[in-house]
Amino acid sequence: MARLKIENLYKAYGATEVLKGIDLEIEDGGFLVLVGPSGCGKSTLLNCIAGLEDVTSGDVVIGERSVTELHPSKRDIAMVFQSYALYPNMTVEKNISFGMEIRGVGKSERRAAIEGVADMLQIRELLKRKPSQLSGGQRQRVAMGRALVRDPQVFLFDEPLSNLDAKLRVDMRTEIKRLHKRMGTTIVYVTHDQIEALTLATRIAVMKDGIVQQFGTPDQIYNDPVNMFVADFMGSPAMNLLPGTVVAENGGLMVSLDGHEGEMLLPLPDSDALRGRMGQKIIFGIRPEAFTDPEGADRTSTQLEKRDCFVEVVEPAGSDTFAVVKLGGKSAVARLRADARISPETVTSLAFNMGKAVFFDPDSGERLK
Amino acid sequence: MSGAAQDIAMKGSRATRIIIYTVLILFMIFYLLPLYVMLTNSLKPLDEIRGGDMLALPKNWTIEPWRAAWSYAQIGVEPTGLRPYFINSIFMVVPAVLISTALGALNGYVLTKWSFRGSGLVFGLLLLACFIPFQIVLIPMARILGMLGLAGTTSGLVLVHTIYGLGFTTLFFRNYYAAFPTELVRAAQIDGAGFFQIFWRILAPSSAPIAVVTIIWQFTNVWNDFLFGVSFADFDSIPMTVALNNLVNSSTGVKEYNVHFAGAILAALPTLIVYIVSGRYFVRGLMAGAVKG
Amino acid sequence: MIDRFQNWLPRMVLAPSFFLVLVFVYGFILYTGYLSMTDSKMLPSYNWVGFANYEKLFRLRHWNTAITNLAIFGILYIGISSAIGLLLAILLDQKIRAEGFIRPIYLYPMALSFIVTGTAWKWFLDPGIGLENTMHQWGWDSFQFNWIKDRNYAIYTVVIAAVWQSSGFVMAMFLAGLRGVDNEIIKAAQMDGATGIRIYRKIIIPMMRPVFLSAFVVLAHLAIKAYDLVVALTGGGPGRATELPATFMYSYTFTRNQMGVGASSAIIMLIMIFSIIVPYVYSELRSGDKR
Repeated sequence: MARLKIENLYKAYGATEVLKGIDLEIEDGGFLVLVGPSGCGKSTLLNCIAGLEDVTSGDVVIGERSVTELHPSKRDIAMVFQSYALYPNMTVEKNISFGMEIRGVGKSERRAAIEGVADMLQIRELLKRKPSQLSGGQRQRVAMGRALVRDPQVFLFDEPLSNLDAKLRVDMRTEIKRLHKRMGTTIVYVTHDQIEALTLATRIAVMKDGIVQQFGTPDQIYNDPVNMFVADFMGSPAMNLLPGTVVAENGGLMVSLDGHEGEMLLPLPDSDALRGRMGQKIIFGIRPEAFTDPEGADRTSTQLEKRDCFVEVVEPAGSDTFAVVKLGGKSAVARLRADARISPETVTSLAFNMGKAVFFDPDSGERLK
Repeated sequence: MSGAAQDIAMKGSRATRIIIYTVLILFMIFYLLPLYVMLTNSLKPLDEIRGGDMLALPKNWTIEPWRAAWSYAQIGVEPTGLRPYFINSIFMVVPAVLISTALGALNGYVLTKWSFRGSGLVFGLLLLACFIPFQIVLIPMARILGMLGLAGTTSGLVLVHTIYGLGFTTLFFRNYYAAFPTELVRAAQIDGAGFFQIFWRILAPSSAPIAVVTIIWQFTNVWNDFLFGVSFADFDSIPMTVALNNLVNSSTGVKEYNVHFAGAILAALPTLIVYIVSGRYFVRGLMAGAVKG
Repeated sequence: MIDRFQNWLPRMVLAPSFFLVLVFVYGFILYTGYLSMTDSKMLPSYNWVGFANYEKLFRLRHWNTAITNLAIFGILYIGISSAIGLLLAILLDQKIRAEGFIRPIYLYPMALSFIVTGTAWKWFLDPGIGLENTMHQWGWDSFQFNWIKDRNYAIYTVVIAAVWQSSGFVMAMFLAGLRGVDNEIIKAAQMDGATGIRIYRKIIIPMMRPVFLSAFVVLAHLAIKAYDLVVALTGGGPGRATELPATFMYSYTFTRNQMGVGASSAIIMLIMIFSIIVPYVYSELRSGDKR
């Protein structure tokens, strides 16, 4: 077990820069999730940590040791691949012990290691089978077994759940979290699924275009996004990002949105950044769960603002009901209790929890605080 | 050659079906007729061929033409039959096929899993080499074989066929390995396996289908080659096709058509057997050679 | 250090093939190209004569015969093989019960050497003992089929034998193409009311453009290289009536001791093939990269 540090890492293929100066650090036993849309460089970064791709410049440090120049097998890491990458011609047992065999570990020691892992993952009865005879979930377990048996300093996971069906994915997610608790080993985990990122991570790095947009705890990422990209990417349904204008009303700052009949005003927190935007456009961001029916609103909040809104469409989703509201010239989504009484094409009073609202510069996308 | 017939059958009348089958059967006759003629006439005495009906079954069955073709027919100046040339062909084909297939496999492995700056160019050069008219290499090749002391030897022919087979064997393996998951190679790297270990332990065990295709393709091409054989071989190395041509076109004596037919079938037999035993792979090879990927 | 070694291994493995091809293919092409500009006769000579051999080549009647023959042979061979191949593929695609039995029979000639094919057709078409004689035996006395002995028609016998050998292969290519057409497109066309022949004409055959292209490239390159078949079937005769560039090159280089002219004819053949293959391979590689 060890901490992992990535310092000023660059990676280019010819003239195309894929990673542009990555700096990350995860403490011993931490769970770092790299998340972002496809092409953001997260998998490349993982491969650079693994040593499967050479870095152009920068350093990867595991524990106190720089491993940038080391062969993957010498870095004391283990990796679980998206496709599981089980050797098709070998039995489960052979798959798990292949690395030890290459390193020349003795037979009895290998045997013991296989047994230990098989028990931990409950795959004992699969040991003699070939990968082609396993279900998706079983393959996933074997792939984890192959990683676990190495007992590495750092585990690397490359979108390990993306090939599973929805239900199995949730089960395996829990299982990975449980394993992490038990082993306490540092993990770096790549996913494009923001829910996976929020549920698993102790630290999240949101990436885009080879740059880390924000690096922080799941809570920071979700509630305190540094820019519009992070705000939009994390959370489902996505945060409502509505164009508005900063105005002064009744001695306070307000944001003015296009409501269903004319202007709708909501109070802004009094900050220098926002005051400096007087009369200018800003983006008003509010998550669907902070925009709800008054009965379902967070009663601990002191900044609830009720406004009449025109509901276009109602989408019951079992545990919640979503209402699509025309606001700021766009469609905004409100998240209501499942049994909220609401009907489409009517005007309804909805509550904005302004304590949760965030604001962005419409041009740069940066957060205005 | 996968996939079932699709549901666009012309739902025609009985008459259309009969026409379709008639055309199909006529073409079957077209393709089978030469083989049938060769086979039946190789079992007739010579006077029956000259006087009679090419399509008729033999009246007097005889296997003498086969015996003659195999062991004592006059070929060139020696009454040796085709047997020594058959053996020459075997000694030429087996090493040429094995070496070019092995090199093709390694090349395909490097080109897909360890590509480096310039490896694409190497592949392009190999690929283009598949299609050159071999006439263009005849003159310099003859000189080089002479310089290497390989002129007129079976080893020389093995070298020639290996070199000019490399393009296709590489192409086959490259296309196959391109579809082989790279993550497996990465997993093996993390497990500490080296370049050759990964090839032997991970890729090679999964390569049987493409190896069969490649071997059949190479076998058929090398066995059936005539140009290199006629250009570079001496008595000790003349392959079957060249010997057959010498047998058929020898200007001396009476034309023993029945012996020629027997000889032709003998020359065709190895590739025909391969085709019958593993037609599926044969077709796959043809396709892979024609339609890339 | 072991890592550095591992880094160089792939290059070292590819190197032998690279050098073999570089020398034995591209080096040889350059060498032959050089010889074509010299006055080489029986042995290579290095007296530079510029394009004299090419000028001579195109004044030679034999070469012009060979080129004319190649044009006739190439057009008919490609055209007829494609037509038969497409016809058979479509017919076989009509849920033919015995498809698995019929298909291999259409294809087996491809496994044969051109020498064997030539031998078989040589006697089959021989008026003295072959088809003509047999028809006479059967009582059809007026039947005449002596193309193989006729200067004006012998080249067509080469076409017949070559079509016999390759058309089954073209059938296999087209059949694979037909089966590769997305079933949903066909269903959509049926919903639109299109039926059998029209679906083939309007939808499937246009979608098989790449297969036509591949078939054309394969057949054209076989046609330009055609050598063995002519040697076995007609020996280039009667007279020089079935001479093709490949047989021309061989006889001028090795039996007539005109190596310079032979080399120039080989270069012309290379130019013909590359003008077809290079654009094809290039576009295939390009689309392969995109995939």
